[in-house]
Amino acid sequence: MTNSRVLEATGLKKSFGDIHAVRGVSFHISVGETYGLLGPNGAGKTTSISMVSGLLQRDGGEVLLDGQSMTTTSLGPKQDIGLVPQDLAIYPDLTARENLRFFGHLYSMPKAELVKRVDEVLEVVGLADRANDRASEYSGGMKRRLNIGIGLLHRPKLLVLDEPTVGVDPQSRNAILESVEHLSSEGMAVLYTTHYMEEAERLCTRVGIIDQGEIKAEGTRRELVELVGQQDRIRITATGVQESALDELRRLSGVHSVSPSDGSLELLVADAGAVLPEAMRVLGSQHAGVSSVSVEEPDLEAVFLHLTGKALRD
Amino acid sequence: MRHAWTIAKNDLSLRARDRSIYIIGLVAPLALAFIFNVVFGGGISDVGETITFEVGIANVDQGPIGAAFEDVIDSIASEGLLTVTTFGSAEAARTAADNGTVGASFILPEGLSDAVLGGADATIEVVGNVDAPTTTQVASSISEQFGIGVRTANLSVATAMASGALSPEQAFAAAGEAGTATPAIEVGSVEAASRQLDSAAYFVAGLSIFFLFFIAGMSITSMLEERREGTLSRLLAAPINRQSIVAGKSLASILIGLASMTVLVIVSSLIMGADWGPPLGVAMLIVGAVLAVTALMTAVGSFAKTPEQAGNLQSIVAVTLGMLGGTFVPIAQEGFLAKLSLLTPNAWFIRGLGDLAGGGISAALPAVLVLLAIAVVAGSIGLVIAGRALRL
Repeated sequence: MTNSRVLEATGLKKSFGDIHAVRGVSFHISVGETYGLLGPNGAGKTTSISMVSGLLQRDGGEVLLDGQSMTTTSLGPKQDIGLVPQDLAIYPDLTARENLRFFGHLYSMPKAELVKRVDEVLEVVGLADRANDRASEYSGGMKRRLNIGIGLLHRPKLLVLDEPTVGVDPQSRNAILESVEHLSSEGMAVLYTTHYMEEAERLCTRVGIIDQGEIKAEGTRRELVELVGQQDRIRITATGVQESALDELRRLSGVHSVSPSDGSLELLVADAGAVLPEAMRVLGSQHAGVSSVSVEEPDLEAVFLHLTGKALRD
Repeated sequence: MRHAWTIAKNDLSLRARDRSIYIIGLVAPLALAFIFNVVFGGGISDVGETITFEVGIANVDQGPIGAAFEDVIDSIASEGLLTVTTFGSAEAARTAADNGTVGASFILPEGLSDAVLGGADATIEVVGNVDAPTTTQVASSISEQFGIGVRTANLSVATAMASGALSPEQAFAAAGEAGTATPAIEVGSVEAASRQLDSAAYFVAGLSIFFLFFIAGMSITSMLEERREGTLSRLLAAPINRQSIVAGKSLASILIGLASMTVLVIVSSLIMGADWGPPLGVAMLIVGAVLAVTALMTAVGSFAKTPEQAGNLQSIVAVTLGMLGGTFVPIAQEGFLAKLSLLTPNAWFIRGLGDLAGGGISAALPAVLVLLAIAVVAGSIGLVIAGRALRL
């Protein structure tokens, strides 16, 4: 374990009666890293983070938060975690400011610091102008943002977000994702569970593909894609492409195949980002007329399908 | 403890915005107590004073037994227990009882004395009004007691004759004396050994502790609601001791209970003229009652998995203990029910207030101690079981 690791979860196990919800899940998160647990409903995401957050007693395994063992009764490690539960965990009869103050007191924040921090968080989650309205009067998206605000109020080392965008309109969803990106850029470690592939791809430094209580694969998006042998696909619509140009394209590093068809080319490559500029240079030097380019990268949906034999939303 | 206070303050703030707490804690007990006091307070006469029953009597017998019975009735009436109206005929006495002019009528039939002195069976008829069951019961008891006295006297004379202690002439004379002598009917005062509360204080006390059960029940239902609403997960994830959550919730209920009871005592004194007794003693009893009831309802509610279950369970307990403990009327004055009522905080609270009114603060101490004992026992059980509610 390196010193930068905020969370080290090893071999987590949890059963509810005969149901083995989590079967030996292990992962770690470093400072400034956003780690995604990607899996369908019932995969074991919430159970895993409940053990990480000290809400659930685990049947086996270990959770170390900044080197300290986390249990349901350990108070020190809990100070370092900010939890944003999947269900809204706010008091609707209190204002946003009152909600934040209450939870700030539970984290023993000094009064002066709390007052200042509440204002900061209200700005971060975009609720400053509605701070003194009761949460019951907020839209769903505003409630979600307040839900997140409470989690990051006490400046936790690790922010745990459990499917924070479920049931949120696109605008609020984007605002939430931007907030997470901002926090991550400031060095906060984030554990993010989702069953939305796009969110995992956008936010997460590394992703753990979880299904039936097990991590099936883990790594960066690129690592996961390579793990299952997926390739990027570049489609180019062009005229006047000579055979010599095709040969030159096939010789480019990272190009696996070039398939010409009527007025277009399809290249299977290892990394479209690296190959595309070279391909455009070759076509330009051969005086081909390029009218459109599209890139299809293999996504985590495809990875999940490959690993589990089912789609994410099954 | 700091975190418990934080949670309690938050709960108080939330409940202050929920108007139902004002209805349960203040409006309902006060309104019901006022109604009860108006309806029952004057009818029974003030608790603590001698109860007076209105009876009628028609002595058609005109013999020595009838005269003796009238003496008994007059004797009881002189104690202030009975108001007696004399009727000239059995029919008039029956009519008076039927139409409610009197609560019950005694009818001493013609030939009563002859029958009794001749050793035959005879009956004193008691006619009761359907709306005055208590008066009818009292009248029946008086006539039964009188009958026992007469039978005892006759038996004594017969025994003396059989043993040869009395000649037939002496026996006849003795029988006559025994029949006409006033039997020793012991009709004790209806007053309790300790003076009781006036009716206004009694009804406010009973109803305030009854509604206190619902206030106290909120400690657990609030926790179960937090689980359902999702905020419990956040409390459990916070760096606070889990007992702080239970303690905070209970503390909020205790503070609301104390405020409710205190306001009810003050308002009932000012508006209804309720006489509660020495303030310090009343305060001690209120604290004891609030702690006992909160602990009891925490323990009971801990068996529930949802706020609705907890509410139903607590309602059953509140009503049962309320009925048993004399919240609405003092139904359990003696016997098995009286013993059973001692298991309820309601009975001890009301008894303590009665003792306080009659004997001062020291007289109320046993009730205070019992209430605190209930709080300790039920509170310990509640704290252990409440852990169930703290699981997600």
